[in-house]
Amino acid sequence: MTIKIIRDISDTSSYWGATWVFGCFPDIHIVCDAPIGCYNLLGVAVTDYTDALPHMANLTPTSIREEDVINGTAGALKRTIDDLRSLGSLDGKRLLVLSTAESEMISADHGKYLEQLDPDARFFWSQSLEQDEWVGRDRALLFAWQEYGKPFVPADQQVRPNTVNIIGPSLGCFNAPADLHELKRLVAGLGAELNLVYPYAGSIASTPQLADAAVNIVMYHEFGEPLARELDQPYLFAPFGVFGTTQFLRELGVLLGTPSAKVEAFIETEKRSTLQAVWDLWRGPQSDWFATVDVAIVAGRSYVEGLKSFLGEELGMKIVWSSGRPRRADEPDNIEIRKRLHARAPAFIFGSINEKIYLAEANARGAHFIPAVFPGPVVRRTTGTPFMGYAGAANLVQEIVNRFYEMVFNFLPVETIRSQEAGGRSPEVAPKGTISTASQTLPWTKEATDRLNAVLEAIPYLARISASRSLQHAAGQAAQARGATEVTLEIVEAALAHER
Amino acid sequence: MNEIIPLHTDTASQEPYKEGACKLHPQTMCPAFGALRVLARLEGAQPAMVTDTGCLYGLTFVSHFYAARKSIVAPELGTAELSSGMIQEAANAAIIEAASEPNVSVIPVISLCVAETAGLAEELLPTEIDGKPVVLVRVPAYAIHSHPEAKDLALAAVMRRFVDRTSPPEPNTLLLIGEVFPADPLMIDGVLRKMGGRVLATIPGRSVDELRMAGRASAVAALHPFYRDTVSLLRERGVGVVSGAPIGADGSAAWLRAVGTALDLDEDVVEQVAEEEEQTARDVLAHKPLQGSTILVSGYEGNEMLYARLLVEGGARVPYVSTSIGQSMLTAADEAWLRSHGTEAIVYRKAIEDDLAAMEHWAFDLVIGTTTLAAHAKERGIPAVYYTNMLSVRPLFLAGGMIASIAFAQDLMNRKPIYNRMLEFFQ
Repeated sequence: MTIKIIRDISDTSSYWGATWVFGCFPDIHIVCDAPIGCYNLLGVAVTDYTDALPHMANLTPTSIREEDVINGTAGALKRTIDDLRSLGSLDGKRLLVLSTAESEMISADHGKYLEQLDPDARFFWSQSLEQDEWVGRDRALLFAWQEYGKPFVPADQQVRPNTVNIIGPSLGCFNAPADLHELKRLVAGLGAELNLVYPYAGSIASTPQLADAAVNIVMYHEFGEPLARELDQPYLFAPFGVFGTTQFLRELGVLLGTPSAKVEAFIETEKRSTLQAVWDLWRGPQSDWFATVDVAIVAGRSYVEGLKSFLGEELGMKIVWSSGRPRRADEPDNIEIRKRLHARAPAFIFGSINEKIYLAEANARGAHFIPAVFPGPVVRRTTGTPFMGYAGAANLVQEIVNRFYEMVFNFLPVETIRSQEAGGRSPEVAPKGTISTASQTLPWTKEATDRLNAVLEAIPYLARISASRSLQHAAGQAAQARGATEVTLEIVEAALAHER
Repeated sequence: MNEIIPLHTDTASQEPYKEGACKLHPQTMCPAFGALRVLARLEGAQPAMVTDTGCLYGLTFVSHFYAARKSIVAPELGTAELSSGMIQEAANAAIIEAASEPNVSVIPVISLCVAETAGLAEELLPTEIDGKPVVLVRVPAYAIHSHPEAKDLALAAVMRRFVDRTSPPEPNTLLLIGEVFPADPLMIDGVLRKMGGRVLATIPGRSVDELRMAGRASAVAALHPFYRDTVSLLRERGVGVVSGAPIGADGSAAWLRAVGTALDLDEDVVEQVAEEEEQTARDVLAHKPLQGSTILVSGYEGNEMLYARLLVEGGARVPYVSTSIGQSMLTAADEAWLRSHGTEAIVYRKAIEDDLAAMEHWAFDLVIGTTTLAAHAKERGIPAVYYTNMLSVRPLFLAGGMIASIAFAQDLMNRKPIYNRMLEFFQ
């Protein structure tokens, strides 16, 4: 067996994924069989930076101590449950106990023991040592359906026509509030009724109602589909882009039995409202830049596929590489992503804080980072930043064009003002009639020119003019300083080192 | 002076405070983070973490936010690797990857819960690779209990490795221990120089050289009261130890005198400087800027009692202080001072239940707490801030630090109306 090396992990474990699913339910209390760190990182520290929640109110640790590692965690579990009971924290709530990597290390399986303590409680074996957050989320959704949903669906249950579930949005899902808002808007646009948003707006008590919806929208490719299959109704994945979303609306219309005229009327209205900005920016000079842009994408599977389709196929940007989560074997891992970003950063990088760090390490100032996935502290709690749907298409185009403007601004010449008090001095005015020798253009050797061109090739298109100017200037000055009569390869290398 | 009208009568606190009925939610950052923070910030260090993926995710997340913009290396450890006894191979593979980086000069190996449970053996790890030192730091959360104490373990581990054991001590030099606001050591150095001494270095810091140099100090001051291992390491080498910190009027003068003795400085000069410093502080405190206010101090950084002392000297009533660290000799002086100045309860290794019981017991005008506690306070319309974010960004020591910190507390309490308005709207 060979050991695989990870850099700056991207996907967390199934304990996290499952807790982010179960944690959405207000009528559940989760006890994680964990040392305090696993509680604090998930329940307090990280969730505050991913979901902007001050803390997860329905999560409690058994706080495994050294003696529990030796003797087992049953005592700690019983004490925790007793304390929760005494505080009234379990009143009106279902108790769910989750294993974690550490409790699994010591084989603390409390399935049977928990039955004695509380027959209504359930034990979820997280398999945190071998499964990632996506599998964890899927297993949690299926577990909730099997334990709290399916057995309570009446035998004569009929689906309600024209109703839709949205499956997937949960804690730790990047940008879920904005994407969810857009999906709800699209569903309402077709005149359909929203049944359940699960687990985000669901509960243990509402779980049997999952069976009521005529169609399920699975928000993410990375998880949620197994539950949709279990529900045994038609399902669609959430859409991206102008054409992707149009196709989605037509398919949803067919599945719901919406009259085609109604669907087309909504699409027409959207063209003149939500999407008008896309058409205007497309007709304007802004879209001319799209052809010059290269993009790298690191994100959840849905975002990767959606951004590739919208930015690449619909808008014609060049997608240089991408890496989805869960990662496929043919996609770069973080070690490879880091190498690529250090070697050559594209104009736009959608990604996590890992990519942001790699760009910072390489001092890649010509590249724009756009958050598109966790990990990384970023607040995405408003409805105004969708990636999905028509609103997502408009938002993405707007975001990218604004980054262009920013880049143009940053590359225009500027003369910084330093106050006299701060020790700044006015530039000395040269005596009339003299011309600084620094203004002379020196000849460049072929090696020097080739090196400059190679360097510029690696810089995003829009930043190239400015970089060319500043590197030529730096090399010229270095040559003048040495009293050289031509710019050589050595001088260019020195100027490059100085610029970094 | 700001008029602060107490919202309660004092009858509530006639009954003594009782700690929370249970300690369900311990308040500390994951203990291991303290170690990771100290180690990741060292220039040239490439941390290798040995742990499971969930732990790795959480710890790298907070490290990339609060420690350093630094890539972190780890072996993939699942059931297969752990159950087949591959833990040593895994750690070694991570060390090799870490050493392959061009700018790396030291590799801290951070061993966490599952690696410790699996029995990672130090003697089977290399002590160096390609001439780069490998330093093992064991910080299983189940055994360390708090994030400040893990800082100490990490600092002691690298210090043990790098400290200069051969050079003679440099006379009149003081080593400062504690992650303090960058201006604080400069202020302390300024005052020490007036006494004929100087600050040699402040650790934990960014440079391995500071750790090497630490061995040459004539005395060491543990500004924060949880650097027990680090301090005893230096004590073994015969370095004099000054505990406590130059906090407030009482504390600053006493601390300067203790430093003077430890560094063997001219007594008369020391006395003169200590009195000057005390007078400056007393002048600031003369009008008791925080008089009439009741403040709760509850962090998990381990230096909460210092801040509480400052507030008390500023005129505030601080009946309750809680912290994540354990009680020790290094906490004794601050605890005694606080108890003699009206603090009724000091809780070590606290849980949110303890803090909430305190909120029930006393009526506070200001809560300086953990994120969870501050959120509870804001839900009651009490001005509240997260201790870690707000207090580490301003000076704390000597007269200058005192002014900055007291002004901050005062400003927060003046914001009461906006906390109330938010509460009324949202609840």
